Amino acid sequence: MIVDFSDKNYFSSLLKDGLIRCIFFCEFHHTAGPIISCQVPENFVSKELFDSISVYIITKAELQRSTITVTLEDCKVLGFPIRIDNKKYERNAFHFNLCFVCDSETRTVQYEHVVTKFSDYLMAMEIESRFLSTGKSNEKLTPILKTVLEDLNTKGECALLEGPIATHLKVCRIRSDPTPVLDHQVPVFMKALPPHQWDLTTQQVTPYIDGFNHVARIAALSDVDNNLVKACVQNLVYYGVVALVPLFQYGNIYCATWKLRSLAQDRELQKRCLTYVSRTQRQVPCLRDVFRTYASMSRGTTIRDLCTRFNLANMRINERKLVQFGVLEGLIRRIQKYPILVGEHTELQKTFTGTYSVDEICCATGVTSQQLEDRLERDHIVMLLCK
Amino acid sequence: MEVNPLSVILVKSDSKGDRLLFRYPFQIQENKETSNRARKNPYALSVVEESLQSVAVSSSNINKGVLTGLSDEVLSSLFAVKTDLCDKKFELKVNDVRFVSHPTLLQLQNEQSEKDDSGIMLINIVFALSALASHSVVRCYHDLSQRFGIILRHEEKRCSFVSEQTQRMMTAHDECTSNNGSAFQIILEKCTLANNIKKLYEDLSSTGLVNIIVNRWISLTFCLPQKAHQWHLRGQTIEPEDIDRCLLALRPYHSLLLLHPVEHIIDFTSLDSSPSLVKMLTQYSPMKNLQTLAADSDLTLSHVFELTAHLVYWAKATVIFPVCATNRYVIASNAPLHHTSPLIEKFSKAFPGLHLIKAIHEFSVPTSLHSKLDPFSKPTLQSSLVQNIIWMLQHHLLLQLHTYIEYMPTDNGPPSLKDQKKIAKTPSPRTSSVLSASFPDASRTESESGASTISEAQELMKHLNMENASFTSIEDDKQDYQEELLVDFPDEERNEIFKIPATNTPEDLKLFARLCRKGYFEGSHHIEEIMYLENLRRSQLTQLLDKFREILITYDSEDPAIAMFSCTT
Repeated sequence: MIVDFSDKNYFSSLLKDGLIRCIFFCEFHHTAGPIISCQVPENFVSKELFDSISVYIITKAELQRSTITVTLEDCKVLGFPIRIDNKKYERNAFHFNLCFVCDSETRTVQYEHVVTKFSDYLMAMEIESRFLSTGKSNEKLTPILKTVLEDLNTKGECALLEGPIATHLKVCRIRSDPTPVLDHQVPVFMKALPPHQWDLTTQQVTPYIDGFNHVARIAALSDVDNNLVKACVQNLVYYGVVALVPLFQYGNIYCATWKLRSLAQDRELQKRCLTYVSRTQRQVPCLRDVFRTYASMSRGTTIRDLCTRFNLANMRINERKLVQFGVLEGLIRRIQKYPILVGEHTELQKTFTGTYSVDEICCATGVTSQQLEDRLERDHIVMLLCK
Repeated sequence: MEVNPLSVILVKSDSKGDRLLFRYPFQIQENKETSNRARKNPYALSVVEESLQSVAVSSSNINKGVLTGLSDEVLSSLFAVKTDLCDKKFELKVNDVRFVSHPTLLQLQNEQSEKDDSGIMLINIVFALSALASHSVVRCYHDLSQRFGIILRHEEKRCSFVSEQTQRMMTAHDECTSNNGSAFQIILEKCTLANNIKKLYEDLSSTGLVNIIVNRWISLTFCLPQKAHQWHLRGQTIEPEDIDRCLLALRPYHSLLLLHPVEHIIDFTSLDSSPSLVKMLTQYSPMKNLQTLAADSDLTLSHVFELTAHLVYWAKATVIFPVCATNRYVIASNAPLHHTSPLIEKFSKAFPGLHLIKAIHEFSVPTSLHSKLDPFSKPTLQSSLVQNIIWMLQHHLLLQLHTYIEYMPTDNGPPSLKDQKKIAKTPSPRTSSVLSASFPDASRTESESGASTISEAQELMKHLNMENASFTSIEDDKQDYQEELLVDFPDEERNEIFKIPATNTPEDLKLFARLCRKGYFEGSHHIEEIMYLENLRRSQLTQLLDKFREILITYDSEDPAIAMFSCTT
């Protein structure tokens, strides 16, 4: 049996963002206790189910204004309990909670802020005009909940403009923080920059992102401070507009990864690859040549070696694009060289720790990698580890 | 670390109401008054709008890795769940804390309950985790809570352990009226169950390997893989699914590499462990593959697989390809090699006179044991080199490269577009025998009837051969056997194949056709695997690859199945 390692669904199934199945509004009735007074769609949450979880919905005082999610076998209820203290209410307080119901195997963190904001909106409406507590909340709330449910599920955002107060709800996807951008990395556009009111730095920086300029060079070309460029690129990475690849040099070493197999099988990937790596628009290279070039990338073989071994121009392959595509798709991987000091030398100790790659050192000190490697070859107290 | 528990909470609920009996860790607050609130500045202006705006309450219940902001009463009311939610997974998230447990109902065994028939008690062992903890971590904790619940139910039935312990805890709470956690201290001194919970918490936060004996009778052992694998793979989280996939890809030619000396592992095995594990460990060597290991230790192969799976899951071992002279190794991409690395000292201690960096430097380019040794070198050198490599493999510093082969007969890559679909559906259509009348595509048989008999197929075959002969300009007098060998290959592929001079040697062509039909040249089998499965020698295979290098493209890569412990990119 062959296990398919490229199966990404395996992981994404655990982290799927779920749709909202139901929204309900529940309140603490002064005689009946916690009840659902409005629900869209109707009867999604049964009375029995609600009774067993009502303690997490109409909560004790300490848990007011906390986002509470309770996961059951077949659904997940996300709420934000609120209490308004006022003498005019029976029992001197009005408790309510607006809850979203989702499937239990999905992620719901992205709705937490929406629920909080929506609850605050309802609270403001209640304080202004006793919107919720006058008894007819069902008729007034049902259309609102219906729009919110539909709009959030389809468009991911919703505007509530009726009534004295307006509010806007938007589901923001929670992404992990991007790693810090380094001087020697090269940003590449993954998709066209969305037409947007980008900030001034981004407007100034983006024309220089061509897939070959590294960050420090972009900073120099666009006349923008280095740290600002990094912040800008990091922001674009966060939104998935650009990806970072290592700097291209003819002395670089790459190696094939096990994902190279997918190039031989995936027709769609082949098509994209061939158009991406071709020298001219008109004539695309043939797959066997491209595959053979990727397959020949191994530790100890530089791109310069490859160019001399194969006549890449004749094969209509643009080697820079070839490397870029391979790195972006994970077909190949850059082998970095890490100088590490093995003797005693106080000055060099700071630089050659084994954690900084040749690229980083070159970028920081302004020497070419050839010069650095030649120097290191003469010294015997520094070793180059390729990994 | 988001896999560590923030707190372990024990709650009971019975006819007398609910109560938080014990939680660990707890702090004894000594001066409660001063820490409570900072004095308000009397000169500060009170802003009117603030009362309308929602007050920004800090919505975090975690403070320096400890659960805060929720009183014992609230926790108790939250976890004394309704009976509908009992005996199933319970998961509750409050702000940034996720509580997970398996509420367990048990029948009390004391005399009092027999009188008034109210002897059902809910006992809930709740783990408070950071909300960032992944799905699989939550699942593991739920499993642990469920196991603990089962043990408590059993112990209650056997010797009314739970009723006795809860009674003790209740008494301690009642005696200690001041609500500052000193009751927990007394409980910890008096109750074995509280001590079990303390040990449970400590084991989980230190190693992830739980080993407690509840009521000095039933042992509870549990492994939290996301934590347990931290000690040898710092900074990486190993999910149980990763391990499962690795184990699915286990083959008889793989071998087991223990991460500890064998004696340690035998110590770790508990008293009632499987005797076959000990049997296997006595025969263990990283040079043996699992098949040999099974034969030597007189166990079935599948049982050796199970034992391997067990050791891998518990972070005691990893899976490698057996160390041999032809293996090529390189430095792993995430090897923690820097000049302050503790590994350097560890290596010098293990191998006096050697420096790790100098030793590993040679693996910057793919290096095999074979190439490092010449025929005149001493045998002691070889054994010390093997020891070095095993040490580096144990510390995940090295990766083994394997050669994979991709069959690319034409410029357009592997089997042409029209065949692609067919191949995707049925894994290896080429395994069909030559005469089985299963022609790859309909276009070539369109003149014939759909149900072609064998004789028809043969006729067609001859016809096709004739046709071919006109195309192949290089070799026009191919003999019949050659044609027959490749009869189920599409024309254009066959033409390309026949351009290779080695096709004139029947043995070579035969071997090529056999391996190609079995789908070994689709990049999913490395050379060593093909050697194992087809019982070939390395030289046979390398010669074949060299002869057919025009259409067989090779590349080196790590084995994705077993490399996931060192290279999860």
